[in-house]
Amino acid sequence: MFAIVEEPLDVGALIRDAQRPDCGAIATFVGTTRIDESEGAVVEYLEYEAYRPMADRKLEEIGAEIEGRWDVGHVSIVHRLGRVDAGEASVAIVVAAPRRGPAFEASRYAIERLKEVVPIWKREVWSDGYVWVGSQVGSREGDSAKP
Amino acid sequence: MIRVLLFGAAADRAGTREIELPLEDGATLAEVWSLLAERHPDLVPMRDTLAFAVNGEYARAEDGVSPGDEIAVLPPVSGG
Repeated sequence: MFAIVEEPLDVGALIRDAQRPDCGAIATFVGTTRIDESEGAVVEYLEYEAYRPMADRKLEEIGAEIEGRWDVGHVSIVHRLGRVDAGEASVAIVVAAPRRGPAFEASRYAIERLKEVVPIWKREVWSDGYVWVGSQVGSREGDSAKP
Repeated sequence: MIRVLLFGAAADRAGTREIELPLEDGATLAEVWSLLAERHPDLVPMRDTLAFAVNGEYARAEDGVSPGDEIAVLPPVSGG
């Protein structure tokens, strides 16, 4: 399953969907929101947006790349949009394969590739402003584009 | 006319998520960018970090665009 959703991710359901009699391994990667601190300020939450349907299609392309490179039985990549609070999952990747090596390698590949090519953006909302991650554009002290 | 969509930090700097631009025959993405930069000069400092898509697929500056195309201005992606 390749999906971009607005609701909390149900990682357990994704793992259950990946269970197959011909696979002996399921590797799961879950990206969760981390609370960073700097100079007395903290991240309050993250907010994600995507360019759809390009982002949906790019997730499917990553799935096809994985199936071309590794012996896998099932691949799911699900990314959440909107506000994601501390410790909640923003992305879940589940790969089932006959053997653990390809399951680990393919799940690692999926998250690295997602971070390279899928048009999704993250905004950190701090107690003293916000920052678009990757662009360093925002309203915190020190941003050259501060309004 | 072509429709230009802006995302993330680019939408933030431009103060809009969508803009329509007049298109000349045989225009390239680089020319679309020039027009966009003229109207939204706050985007100019981001130029080297931006990628572009035409109709939902990554495209290069020298690629041509046609009337009715959807152009997207994509800051460095930061999913995950």
